[in-house]
Amino acid sequence: MATTLGKSNSGSAFGRSIPRVEARAKVTGKAEYVHNLRLPGMLHGKVFRSTVAHARIKGIDVSAARELPGVHAVYTAADIMKLVPDPHYGPAFHDQPVLAVDKVRHVGEPVALVLAADPHVAEAAAQMIAADYEELPAVFDEVEAMTSKAVVHEVLKPAGTFPDLKHLKGKRDTNIALDFHLRRGDVQKAFATADHVFEHTFRTQQVLHVPLEPFVTVADPTPNQLVIHTASQSPSFVRIEIARLLGWPENRVRVKVPYLGGGFGAKLYIKLEALVAIAALLAGRPVKISLTMEEQFYQITKHAATLRIKSGVSKDGKILARECEVWWNGGAYADIGPRVTQKSGFTAPGPYDIEHVAIDSYALYTNLPAAGALRGFGIPQLVWAYESHTDMIAKALDIDPLAIRRKNILKEGRPQATGTLMRDAGIEQVLERLAQRMQWEKAFDRGSDRLRRGRGIAIGFKASISPTTSVAIVNVSADGSVMVNCSTVDMGQGSDTAMAQVVAEALGVPVESVTLVHPDTDVTPYDMATLGSRSTFHMGHAVRLAAEDARDKLMKLAQEVGLSAETTPIPDIFRKKYGMQAGNIVGVGSFIPSYAPPDAQGQTDNATPFWMIGATGAEVEVDTETGEFKVTRLVNLVDVGRPVNPAIVETQISGATLMQLGFTLSERMDFDAGQVTNASLADYKIPGIRDVPAVMENEAVDMVQQTGPFGAKGVGESGTFGVSPAIASAIDDAVGVRLTSLPLTAEAVYRGLRANAGRPLED
Amino acid sequence: MRPFELEQPRSLKSALKLLDAGDESVRVFGGATALMLMMKAGVFQPTRLISLRGIESRYSKATAAKDGSLRIGALTTLSALGRTAAVRRRLPVIAATLRTLSNVRVRNVATLGGHLAHADPHMDLPPVLIALDAQLVTAATAGSRTLPVSGLFTGYYETALARNELIAEVLVPDQTGRRAAYVKLTTRAADDWPTLGIAVSLRTDGRVIEDARFVVSAATEKPLRLASVEALLRGAVVNDALLARAGEAAAAEAELIGDARGSAAYKTELLRVHAGRALRQALAA
Amino acid sequence: MTTHRTIAFTLNGNPVTVHAGNHQNLVELLQGQGLFGARESCAQGLCGCCTVIVDGQAVSGCLTMATLVDGADVRTIEEPQAGEGGLDAVQQAFIETGAFQCGFCTPGFILMTRQLLDAHPDPTDDEIRHYLAGNLCRCAAYPEIIKAVRLAAKKRGG
Repeated sequence: MATTLGKSNSGSAFGRSIPRVEARAKVTGKAEYVHNLRLPGMLHGKVFRSTVAHARIKGIDVSAARELPGVHAVYTAADIMKLVPDPHYGPAFHDQPVLAVDKVRHVGEPVALVLAADPHVAEAAAQMIAADYEELPAVFDEVEAMTSKAVVHEVLKPAGTFPDLKHLKGKRDTNIALDFHLRRGDVQKAFATADHVFEHTFRTQQVLHVPLEPFVTVADPTPNQLVIHTASQSPSFVRIEIARLLGWPENRVRVKVPYLGGGFGAKLYIKLEALVAIAALLAGRPVKISLTMEEQFYQITKHAATLRIKSGVSKDGKILARECEVWWNGGAYADIGPRVTQKSGFTAPGPYDIEHVAIDSYALYTNLPAAGALRGFGIPQLVWAYESHTDMIAKALDIDPLAIRRKNILKEGRPQATGTLMRDAGIEQVLERLAQRMQWEKAFDRGSDRLRRGRGIAIGFKASISPTTSVAIVNVSADGSVMVNCSTVDMGQGSDTAMAQVVAEALGVPVESVTLVHPDTDVTPYDMATLGSRSTFHMGHAVRLAAEDARDKLMKLAQEVGLSAETTPIPDIFRKKYGMQAGNIVGVGSFIPSYAPPDAQGQTDNATPFWMIGATGAEVEVDTETGEFKVTRLVNLVDVGRPVNPAIVETQISGATLMQLGFTLSERMDFDAGQVTNASLADYKIPGIRDVPAVMENEAVDMVQQTGPFGAKGVGESGTFGVSPAIASAIDDAVGVRLTSLPLTAEAVYRGLRANAGRPLED
Repeated sequence: MRPFELEQPRSLKSALKLLDAGDESVRVFGGATALMLMMKAGVFQPTRLISLRGIESRYSKATAAKDGSLRIGALTTLSALGRTAAVRRRLPVIAATLRTLSNVRVRNVATLGGHLAHADPHMDLPPVLIALDAQLVTAATAGSRTLPVSGLFTGYYETALARNELIAEVLVPDQTGRRAAYVKLTTRAADDWPTLGIAVSLRTDGRVIEDARFVVSAATEKPLRLASVEALLRGAVVNDALLARAGEAAAAEAELIGDARGSAAYKTELLRVHAGRALRQALAA
Repeated sequence: MTTHRTIAFTLNGNPVTVHAGNHQNLVELLQGQGLFGARESCAQGLCGCCTVIVDGQAVSGCLTMATLVDGADVRTIEEPQAGEGGLDAVQQAFIETGAFQCGFCTPGFILMTRQLLDAHPDPTDDEIRHYLAGNLCRCAAYPEIIKAVRLAAKKRGG
C-alpha cells in the first residue's frame, strides 16, 4: 500500500459511516468468539450451585460424581484453597469466593465444579452432587438490608483498588458496602421556605444483561504461562487479579479476548476466570466453562433500587432544593456496586440547576445474585426517578413538562451537584432538539375514549468513570500498513472500527490500511476496561497519541534519510533506511484524564472528563378498558460530541433505547425465597422484533467535545437514560395513571384506572 | 443430556408394538421440540425414545374430504398444516392462529399430534380445535377410538391417552356456515406464551347467533368451554349489550389462574373485555 | 440398539459421515465439523442463534437430535454463496445497512431472511416481523435488520 503521511491522499477517515471492519467475518459466521475455541485435551467444567439463599455449608457429597465414568475431577473450595489459600476476588471488595467457602450467600452460587472431557458427562455428574446446608435468615430487600439482623458478610473486605473504600476495611455486621453522601447548600432551610415540597418514592426491578453469547472462559496451563481466553470486557483487570490470586507476576498470566457476543457491562472484572484458571492449574489440562442461558441469571445482574426524592419548589416551578436517598440492591457480592453507588450519586439530582442538594446513596448486600454495571452504571435508575418526579411536580403545579425543564435546566458553565462546572454538555441542545422533533408545542392527537394517546419527555446525564487509564501502541510496518495494539474489547459497539478511524485520521492514512490487534495482554498494553462509554474518549486519545508518536518518529526517520515524509510513500522511507522491506515504527500513547476526588461533602471541581447526555420522547396509545398499551413512537436524542462513525452511533443509540425498553416494559427477574423463577428467555422477556415501536427516530445533536479525540466522546449508554420515565409520563398524559415502579405493565395501568374510578381491583 | 437409545420404526403398527414392550420411561416423539426442552432441563431422562418420523406418510399430511371435513395426520408439522390449501381456504382461523404460534423454526418440526399430546394449557391450537368441534382418532395395539379434542385434556399437562396409545389423526368437521376467531393476549413482550387465549366459533343467521362455542385457555389448567356464555349467545341477536353480557358471563364462569403474566383478577378483567372483542372478530370473519 | 450411531448426510453440499450420540444436538454435531456459526444461546429454540437449514427448512439446531439428520441435506451460514466475494444478497445487505453489532445472532437472522425471501420475494413489514419474530438480537439492531431485509429483497429482485 503506497501511502504517504498526511491527509492529502486519503480524505478524512473520521466521521464517516464506513462498514465495521469485521463485517464480513460476522455475516459468514466466522468471527472469532471464545465460544468457538477447543484445545487438545480440553476438559469441560460444569458448576454445581447452591439451592438456598443463605446457609452454612455442613457438607458436600461429591463421591457419586467422582465415580461416574468419564469424570476427570470434582473440586470444592477445599481443593481451590490448596492452590490459593484465600480464594476471594472482586474489583471493589475481595468478597467473592471462587467456590463457596463455608457459606453460600445466594441461590445459584457456585459450590463445586466437575471436569470431564464430555460436557454431557460433566453435566450428569454435577446433578449427582449433594450439599447439606444449615439455613440462615436471609435478606432480599435493599431497604430492609439497612437494618436487617441477617448479615450477608460478617466482615467487609475492601480490595484496596479504590482509595476511597479503604476506611471500610474490617467493618463488621453491616450490609452497607458503601455509603456516599453529598451536601451542597442547606436543603432543610430551603424546604422550610419553599412554596411547595414534593416527595415521591420510586422502585426499579432487578434485571440482567443477557448477552446472547453467555459467559465463557478457557484456561490453558502452558509450561511458562497460564493462558486465559475469555469473553471479558476487561482483559487487563483479569490478568492483574488472576496474578494476585496466584501470587504470580503479571507476565505469567496471558489474557486473550476475541470478539464478544455482547457484553453490556456483564463481562467486566472477574466472572468465570478465577474458577477456570485455578481448575486448569489443578487439572493440568485446558478447561472450558460455558454457562448456559439459565446460569447467566446467577452470574451478574442490574441493581434493583429504591429511590426517594424530595424537592422544594417555588410556585412558578423553580426547583430550589432537592434531597435524594437511594438504596442499591447489590446482591450477595459487591462486584462494582460501590462504584455505581458513588458515581451515580454525583448526578442523582438530575440535569437541573439546584442550589441546595443533599444525596445519600447506599450500596447494600442482600441474598440475591450479585448486581454490577449494566449500560448506564445506575444512571437509568436515577433518571427514572428524577424525571418521573419532575413530571409529577409539573402536573401538580399545572406547568408544561417542557416548560418546567427549560426553567430548571443546567446550563453550560454552571456548577452541578458536585460543584463541577458543566463543559461541552449539550443538555439544552438535546432538550430543545427533542422538543422540536416531538413538535411539543403543537396540538397533539389524544385519540378516542377507548384508545387514549399521550406523550412524555425525559432527559438524563452521566459523568464518566474517572480517573482511568488507557495505553496503546501503533505499529507501522515497512509496507505502510498499520497495526493498532489496544486492549479495548469489541463487544459489538464497533470499537475496532472506531479506533481504526481515529488512527487513520491521526496518521492521515487510508482507514483500510489499519488493522486492530485484539486484546492479548502479552502484546496489547493496559486498558482499565471497556465500560461506561469510556473507550472512544480514553482509548481514542491513547491510540491518537500513539499514532501521533508514530507519525513523529516516521517524520524523523524520513528526515534522517533525507526524504520528505509528506511526499514520499511510507514504504520508500523504510526501504531507504533499511535497504529492503524491513523494520517497524512503533508509536506509544498513554492517556489518563485529570480528576479530583470528591471531598467529605461530595464536592469536587473535576468530577468527570466529559458528560454524556441522553433524552427520549415517547408517544403511547392506551386501551382504557384493559390498560393494555403500545409505545407507538420513540424519539432519542443524545450528545456524543462529534460522532466517529455516524451509522454505528445511530445503531448504538437505538440499541441502547430498545434494551431500556425491555427494562421498562417486560424484563423482570422474579424470585421466590431468593430463587429466580424465570431463568430462561421463555419467561424473562427481552424485546423481539415485534416489540420495536412503529416509529423510532435517533439523532446525535451537533456538538463537539473540545477535550475529546477529534471532538468525540462516548455513546454506548446515553440512549438508555430517558426511556423509562418518558413512557411512564406518556401513560400518565394519556390516562392519568402515574406508575412509580418498573416494569410498566398493562395490569398496573389497569389497576391505576380502576383506582382513579374509585373501584380498585382486588388482588 | 444423557445417552439414550433411539428407535425409528417404519410403521405406526411397529411403533405401537415398541411402545407396548417398553418400560414407563419410553416415549414417542414427532418434532421433539417440547421433548428436547424437557430433556435439556433434566426433568426427563429417558433410556429409550421412539421417533415417529419414519411411519407411513399419510400421517404427515392433511386431506380434505368431499363432505367438507378435514383429516389431519398427527405427524403433520404445523408449517405443513399452515401451507395446506384446504386449511387456508376452509379453516382460516387455524392459518391465522399458526402465525402467532411459537416461531417459523419450531413450526417447521413441531407436529399437530405432539402439540396436542403435550397438553400444555398455553398451547394455541387446542382451544381453536375445541371451538371447531374437532375429533381425535387414537391408535393402540388394542384398537383405535375417536374422542372429541375437548375430551383429550384431563388436567395440567395431563391427557386421557393411555400410556401405549397415540394420537393418529385429527378430524375437523365441515365449517360451512360458521365463523371463528382466536384471540391470543400477551401482556409482556409481543411474542410470549399467551396470558389468556379465547377461541370462538359461531353459526349465524343474519344477526341471530344460532350456535356458539366459546373456549378459554392459557389461564386455566386446560382449555375450557364456557357453557354460560354459549347458552347466553344461542338464539340471541347480536348487539353491543349482548357482547357485554357475554363478557360478564365469561368473567363470572371462568376461574382463571394468576401467574407472572398477570393476576387472576386482572386476567378476569381481560376476559370480560376481550370476550366481546373475540366475538366481534369472529362475526367479521 | 445403541446410544450412538454412524450417520451420513450432506453438509454444505459435501458428503459427511460421522459417529454421533442420540443425546447430542445438531449444534454439537456441527462444532465437531469445525463449524461454529450455529450457536447455542437460549437453548430453547427462541433466539435463533442456532438456526440451520435441514432439507430446505430452517430448524433450531439446539432442539434437533444430531442423529436425526441422517440422510439429510444440511446447510449452514458457512456455505459459500454465489454472489460477489462469496456473499449473497442478504449478507451484502446486512453489511451495507450495518444490521448487527456483536454478530452473535447474525447467522440466524441471515438464514431466516433467506427463507423469508424465498417464500416472499417482496415482503411486507408484517411478513418481515412475523418471520424474524423467532430471532432475538440483544444489541437490538432490529431497525437496521428490517432495512437489510428490504435491501436484500431489492438486490435479489434486480
